[in-house]
Amino acid sequence: MADAPICELKAVQKSFDRGGGNTLRVLEDINLDIRPNEVLCLIGPSGCGKSTILRILAGLIDPTKGDVRYHGSKLDALNPGVSIVFQGFALYPWMTVEENVRTVLRAKGMPEEEVRSRADRAITLVGLEGFEEAYPRELSGGMKQRVGMARALSVDPEILFMDEPFSQVDALTAEGLRAEILDIWEDAERNPSSILMVSHDIKEVVYMADRIAVLSANPGRVRTIVDNSLPRPRDMRSPEFLRLVDQLHDIITSTELPDIQVSTVEPSLVPDMIEPLPNSQSTDILGLMEYLETQGGSSELFQVVAATHVPFEKVLASVKAAEMLDLVDTPKRMVLLTPLGTRFIRAGMEERKEIWKERLLDLKLFRVIRDMLEFHEGKLAREEVLAEIHSRLPMENPELTFETLVAWGRFGELFAYREERGVLTPE
Amino acid sequence: MIHRLLDTVWGQATALMYPIKRRRWVDLLVLLAGCAILYGLVVMGRQWTGQHRPMVEIDLSPLALPKYTFFSMMRGLAAYICSLAFTLVYAFWAAKDRRAEKLLIPLLDILQSIPVLGFMPGLVLALVAMFPHSNLGLELAAVVMIFTGQAWNMTFSLYHSLKSVPQDMQESATVYGFSWWQRFKWVELPYGTTGLVWNSMMSMAGGWFFLMITEAFKLGDKDFRLPGLGSYMSVAVEQGNVPAMVYAILAMVIMIVFLDQVLWRPVVVWAQRFRVEETSQAEAPRSWLLKLIRRSRLIRWLEARRAHLVRGVYPPMPLPAGRPERRMSPRLRGGRWVANVALAVLAALSVLSAFKLFGFLHTIPAMRWWDLLKAGGLTLSRVLISTLIGTLWAVPAGLAIGLSPRLSKILQPVVQVAASFPAPMLFPVVIAALATFGVGLNYGCILLMLLGTQWYILFNVIAGAMAIPGDLREAATSFRLSRWQRMKALYLPAIFPYLVTGWVTAAGGAWNASIVAEYAEIKGQVLSTWGLGSTVSAAAYHKDLPMLAAGVILMSTLVVVFNRLVWKPCYKLASTRYSLTK
Repeated sequence: MADAPICELKAVQKSFDRGGGNTLRVLEDINLDIRPNEVLCLIGPSGCGKSTILRILAGLIDPTKGDVRYHGSKLDALNPGVSIVFQGFALYPWMTVEENVRTVLRAKGMPEEEVRSRADRAITLVGLEGFEEAYPRELSGGMKQRVGMARALSVDPEILFMDEPFSQVDALTAEGLRAEILDIWEDAERNPSSILMVSHDIKEVVYMADRIAVLSANPGRVRTIVDNSLPRPRDMRSPEFLRLVDQLHDIITSTELPDIQVSTVEPSLVPDMIEPLPNSQSTDILGLMEYLETQGGSSELFQVVAATHVPFEKVLASVKAAEMLDLVDTPKRMVLLTPLGTRFIRAGMEERKEIWKERLLDLKLFRVIRDMLEFHEGKLAREEVLAEIHSRLPMENPELTFETLVAWGRFGELFAYREERGVLTPE
Repeated sequence: MIHRLLDTVWGQATALMYPIKRRRWVDLLVLLAGCAILYGLVVMGRQWTGQHRPMVEIDLSPLALPKYTFFSMMRGLAAYICSLAFTLVYAFWAAKDRRAEKLLIPLLDILQSIPVLGFMPGLVLALVAMFPHSNLGLELAAVVMIFTGQAWNMTFSLYHSLKSVPQDMQESATVYGFSWWQRFKWVELPYGTTGLVWNSMMSMAGGWFFLMITEAFKLGDKDFRLPGLGSYMSVAVEQGNVPAMVYAILAMVIMIVFLDQVLWRPVVVWAQRFRVEETSQAEAPRSWLLKLIRRSRLIRWLEARRAHLVRGVYPPMPLPAGRPERRMSPRLRGGRWVANVALAVLAALSVLSAFKLFGFLHTIPAMRWWDLLKAGGLTLSRVLISTLIGTLWAVPAGLAIGLSPRLSKILQPVVQVAASFPAPMLFPVVIAALATFGVGLNYGCILLMLLGTQWYILFNVIAGAMAIPGDLREAATSFRLSRWQRMKALYLPAIFPYLVTGWVTAAGGAWNASIVAEYAEIKGQVLSTWGLGSTVSAAAYHKDLPMLAAGVILMSTLVVVFNRLVWKPCYKLASTRYSLTK
């Protein structure tokens, strides 16, 4: 009994219709279970579908294929045991703190006395006494998320879902909230029995989770599930803690920055395949390289994250981008400037653009675009590019790729783009 | 010892007395206002059901004006209540029912561009025939006319709000199992309230335009005038009674200001809590009346009573223990077939009226169509010239007002009143004045159109100028841009989105005004000039139904085509290139 999962995903696949007959595969063959009395965290790069998994488990959206199970039986409606804490709080701005909490209880059809006493209890539990009459716009991010937590806890859920709950809360407040939510969860007599949290912060995940599901993107898959048996309360500075953080870093890095590029191994098998562009702006890439230059040309990936206070995902995207352009190399967890990268960062703006342009034309996608531009006599419509991207990179979001393509191409003075007209022209 | 005891007792007693003493007069006021409304409704009821007379009898003494003003105001309010009810039902239906949406929204778009004034004669005749012995038919016609000037933009606003409720708000409503009604009253309606309130104010202002025309309506030798401000003004013009004209205009202004202070201001302040954006405004709107009402114990008591009653009427539902709740967009299960039947009826009606119209149009020879088209071109150019003239003076004036906090504080309310003032009330006076200067209606009607519509442009330019971010203005100053450079680089692009809104409203208003501006009846004499507006008016006057239908359809088509070809690209440009928020 103790091990029977509360909630399960069985071979779940999810595609979204992007209109015009195009579909975007977001999730592929997901198997996951939430067991009683555990904290399960989902972590992975953006676009890996972690929030989609959470919504499928909650019954907010249907999987395209596969089953959702709740206590062993198939679920095709809202999950009755779940309430959600949202990333953007999702509070109703026209209701006071108290009304926000009471409203969801009224929706359950409880008698008014119970509504009031339960709301009071939930508000007390998260330390919001005194703020009952305040409107959400008067509160700070941390306080707003407390309201979100009170609202979610007031309905006494079996599982509490949290979708990047602390990403819009300042770091110090987030630390406090994490400890508080664990305190509430640790009371074994009471709900919530389990917590499912989506996050992109590795330290947060190691601090909270019993099990950590690491996802990879395009389409989202479960890479591996890491058990975390560190004793609670956890000390974020203990060597065991840091070791686990490092281990997770390694797992994510090796999935995201494999030392051997797959596409170079079997180039003949997929002749028309092109590498997807990491969604990173040229300024971010320049910033990364400037930082590496100040560090003597090399640094550890997580050192970059820690020193620059840029989110891990974003740093990762920039590193991937710079690596594609041969400006950095990434043996293991190190990031180091290539000789070309060093020349690039020490050069003036003119030469930098020259190098950048040259490197871009080394990428198949940019060569294709250049040829298309020529073919269309210097006037290439956005729609045509989107269609091309979609046919060559079916797993990627074409709009996002197009945005990156334009940003890189503009910096390399490869082409110009006028948004109103939606037309690419040669520079 | 005794002294101290007395002091504490007395002190506490006065502390208790204090709020009661201060608030009693507020309650008295609330009671008085309640009585006044009740009495007014009785008088109104008597007028509505009263014997229908062949001629309206208007007492031109200023003492009779409050009564007429009250009648006019009540017609406007009655129409507003209808518009609100229509908006709630229609917008909700269109937003929730995918199938219905496909018919309802294009239909609304057509209704919005039809110049409803063209239908007024037919409507009045039909309703009067329905209630031959009382004023009810005529009163209803007035209310329906105002309704057609109010409802559409309110409905569009609510529909767009309902469609754009943020996803996480929707999801949380779903996760916590809100029923469709709970979702509507707790999430969707509050989300749409801000837009609805603004559009209600606009609609009410637009409604007076139609009210003034219907109240003063005559068809040939038949008098369909209703006791109210519009008829008062028209009788005063007929008799050449200048003081009475001035009184009527004053009464109209007072009514607009009164409604602003007593109805809209409190509503706007109350609606502040439905704001979604997080930033606090520099200066929150205030209302003396709302402050007063919030102080009233009577009202608080009534509110508590109401809350109690509501809870008593709906017994708490049993807890749905562990039952899986319905997913996404909960529908009115029982209301499902009602909606289907209504949709079928609506579709049938649309097809039928299209069929009927086609039958009408069939009888019109091709030559007449060519004439109509030329008339349409002429009226279109009048509309555009009036919009252009309005722009030419309103842009510099609006910038001057909007960029100076002192001026805008003083003048903005004045402009608001001017924008709400129904221009047709002034038409007879202006036409008479033009005649003495020897200007014919051919050019004069451009001035008449301008009279009503220029304020929309001015109003929007002021709003745009006030919204220009301070840092952009500071940058322009620090770079020492000349006045003209500043205009070109900053002011014109920054107000462009607002200007487009002003243009669309002004041009729409000018089309409607063309029907009454190109064809006027002064002292029993018909003055008219060639154009699509006068063609429609003349067709209505002579009960030439095929011609009326053709004119109205052509005008609607011109409006729609112009919207698609000119205003829509302008809007797009405004929201991409000239948007300051992105």
